[in-house]
Amino acid sequence: MSTIIDIPVGPQHPALKEPINITCYVDGEQVIGAKLRLGYNHRGIEKAGEYQSYIQNLYIAERICGICGIVHAFSLAQATEDIIGKEIPRRADYIRVIGLELNRIHSHLLWLGVAAHEIGFDTLFMYVWRDREIVMDIIEEITGNRVTYALITIGGVRRDIPQERAEKLLRVMEALEERVKKYRRMCLEEKTIRMRCDGVGILRKEDAIALCAVGPTTRASGVSFDVRADDPHAAYDEIPFNVVTYDTCDVTARVLVRIDETLESINIIKEAIKKMPEGPIRVRLPRVVPAGEGIGRTEAPRGEVIHYVRANGTDKPFRWKVRSPTLANLLSIPVMLTSKGDYVVNIADVPITFASIDPCISCTDRAVRFIDVSTGKSWVWTFSQIKRMYWRR
Amino acid sequence: MIQEVIDILKILIFPGFFFFSLLGLIFEWIDRKFYARLQNRVGPLYTGPRGFFQPFADFVKLMAKEDVVPEGAEKPIFSSIPVFALALSLFAVLFLPVYGTQGILSFEGDIIVLMAIMTLFVVLVFLGGLSSASRYSEVGAERSILQLLGYEIPLVASVLGAAAITIHTGGSLSIKGIVEAQSGWWSILGIQALGFAIFLLAAQAELERVPFDIPEAETEIVAGWMTEYSGKKLALLRLARDIELAFLCGLGATLFLGGPQPVLPGILGAVVSTILFVVKSVIVLLILTAIRAAMSRLRIDQMVNFAWKYLMPLSILQLFLAVLLPHIITL
Amino acid sequence: MPIFGEALRNAFQRRATLLYPFERRDVPQDYRGKLEIDYNLCIGCGLCVKDCPSSALELVQMPDGKRKPRYHIARCTFCAQCAESCPRKAIKMTPVYELATYNRRAEVVEPCGTSQ
Repeated sequence: MSTIIDIPVGPQHPALKEPINITCYVDGEQVIGAKLRLGYNHRGIEKAGEYQSYIQNLYIAERICGICGIVHAFSLAQATEDIIGKEIPRRADYIRVIGLELNRIHSHLLWLGVAAHEIGFDTLFMYVWRDREIVMDIIEEITGNRVTYALITIGGVRRDIPQERAEKLLRVMEALEERVKKYRRMCLEEKTIRMRCDGVGILRKEDAIALCAVGPTTRASGVSFDVRADDPHAAYDEIPFNVVTYDTCDVTARVLVRIDETLESINIIKEAIKKMPEGPIRVRLPRVVPAGEGIGRTEAPRGEVIHYVRANGTDKPFRWKVRSPTLANLLSIPVMLTSKGDYVVNIADVPITFASIDPCISCTDRAVRFIDVSTGKSWVWTFSQIKRMYWRR
Repeated sequence: MIQEVIDILKILIFPGFFFFSLLGLIFEWIDRKFYARLQNRVGPLYTGPRGFFQPFADFVKLMAKEDVVPEGAEKPIFSSIPVFALALSLFAVLFLPVYGTQGILSFEGDIIVLMAIMTLFVVLVFLGGLSSASRYSEVGAERSILQLLGYEIPLVASVLGAAAITIHTGGSLSIKGIVEAQSGWWSILGIQALGFAIFLLAAQAELERVPFDIPEAETEIVAGWMTEYSGKKLALLRLARDIELAFLCGLGATLFLGGPQPVLPGILGAVVSTILFVVKSVIVLLILTAIRAAMSRLRIDQMVNFAWKYLMPLSILQLFLAVLLPHIITL
Repeated sequence: MPIFGEALRNAFQRRATLLYPFERRDVPQDYRGKLEIDYNLCIGCGLCVKDCPSSALELVQMPDGKRKPRYHIARCTFCAQCAESCPRKAIKMTPVYELATYNRRAEVVEPCGTSQ
């Protein structure tokens, strides 16, 4: 006799950093299925963007996500510059690359700490976050703030990196490389980490391609898909780097992909500082954007992020659409959490599996359809309808 | 008449309930401070000197919080489990020798009673988890029983192996006998080193601390079997857990590190023995904390696997050797 | 077990915790903290109000006829777009970051009269 109980992981749960509901159907200790429910974090950002100018939207875009804010600002700026059609100075491209890679380093270190916490290894969590503070301090020196960098503007960057700061950044990167290599060794050799992460959360290569997974999730399944290499933008066409892939398809592979990517980012920053040309850092672009469509995409720490902007000749965008990487990766979660044949998923594997795609639910929630679960009807509401029904002053 | 009053005072104050409650809170403080130091942090700092009163402050705060009982819970069982847990912990500490060679309660075969008490702890955990009508508690309760299946035999075998040191003093299954047999030669030096290691791992599993805090895995099932407890009930449960920590550290110190050896006679001797006992318990506690800092949580199937593949054969081997070797040597 | 050695070494090193607020770290130069407006340089053009993403600045009429910005600290996101848009460079970012308060709506900096 086996009773199947459903364990709700979320919307409030110590394993999650943001609200999402994963209902795991459990038989004993084995998870036999999972269902996702999103929408807890919808903030109406795309709608709010239609009422603000492009310059103001840059700061809203930065606050789509706390961890990868600069990526959204960069994609929006790239989409807008795509519509306007002007080239931005080369030095601005290099500074943007430095900002993006610093963001990637801090995000991957944050993720490593959180993943260690999910498997109960608080010591590694504390060590990694202590070293992440070094990165946050240098980011604060370069951009003026630890989290919301406000570095990117339409037409270039807002701040320059003078020589002394660039040298300090180089010194910090050297020190950080030692620490990250130590963590890499620790993750490979520590027996209890390997026991918890090997063979857990398997996403086969065919599934990764079929479910359109992006970022380290899919690179750990052997699919070599990296926007920086496939579609070189900013200064990535001039800086050589490796696309890190592993093919064991489990959580250990994702851990290693992220740690190796951190080492790659450190190299990219060092190269960028060396190769940075002199010149202006921004070009004045008009506030009013001519009619047209533009796409900006880049490789966020979590995968490929796409921004689409449609302009109509005013200083406010007509439509702004954001597709963040976690939305693409979330589709793989029910597949990773289903026990099938030899592959057994325990309840204990659920937090680390979910954490291994590096979920950033704040980036993700852009729900558009309403579905009544009891009757199965689905519909779309316009803003004025919602206002009429629910707005009370 | 005066003897009864002294006995009651001994049970209530020293070395009974009050002393071990205090010791439990102090041990929690030492545990948190050392754990924080290993992680390059400070731990509790501001409540009292160096955060000394933090566990006490946590207890007082929990007593003042609202006590919520879930609607579908079995109220009689749910509400009485914390009281039983505290009572069981306090009963267990009466057996530990603090200032002499015997505790307040001491008779032949009392370590068997202690084994039974340690199993009863887990039965209470199981009942507490099942009686809260919550899916998280149910999973936590079932995991605690699975974990018991893993570590119980190694725990019992290591403790009985420690009793084997009394063979050359006549053979005894009481704590008094074990302490007296270690008067010249601590039991850990020798074959009992293996027994000590097994006892440490099994104690870590009994106390539900990392790497064996599976019934209470914070990131998987919120708080496991303790999820629905709040307010006074949670305060009593945590106090019971701290006293259990002090108890197991004291037991480890008694069985393997020699316990409170009577070095000097009289009142001064009692004080010195008490201090020795506490110091040895703290050594055991520091080792347990180091284990906690250096490992991640295991999965339940990995834990039972590890216990049955490695711990159990080693513990039975250790028991055999502990019993046979003295006979072979004297031959 | 590489982490045992690391852990023991860490136990004897100085703590990494910063005991804020008893210990404070220096804020780097160019940190984007609270705004400081120089009302003498301000010409009342309103570009800062237009570009602010969170409506933290609003123009108010002064008794001498000019318009100056009123600054709502609680709404500010410290992005420094106003400092960039100001044609007279009247707005500067200071390193003040300890702005937590119990009453958000009371945190408003009114423009004071100019020397003219």
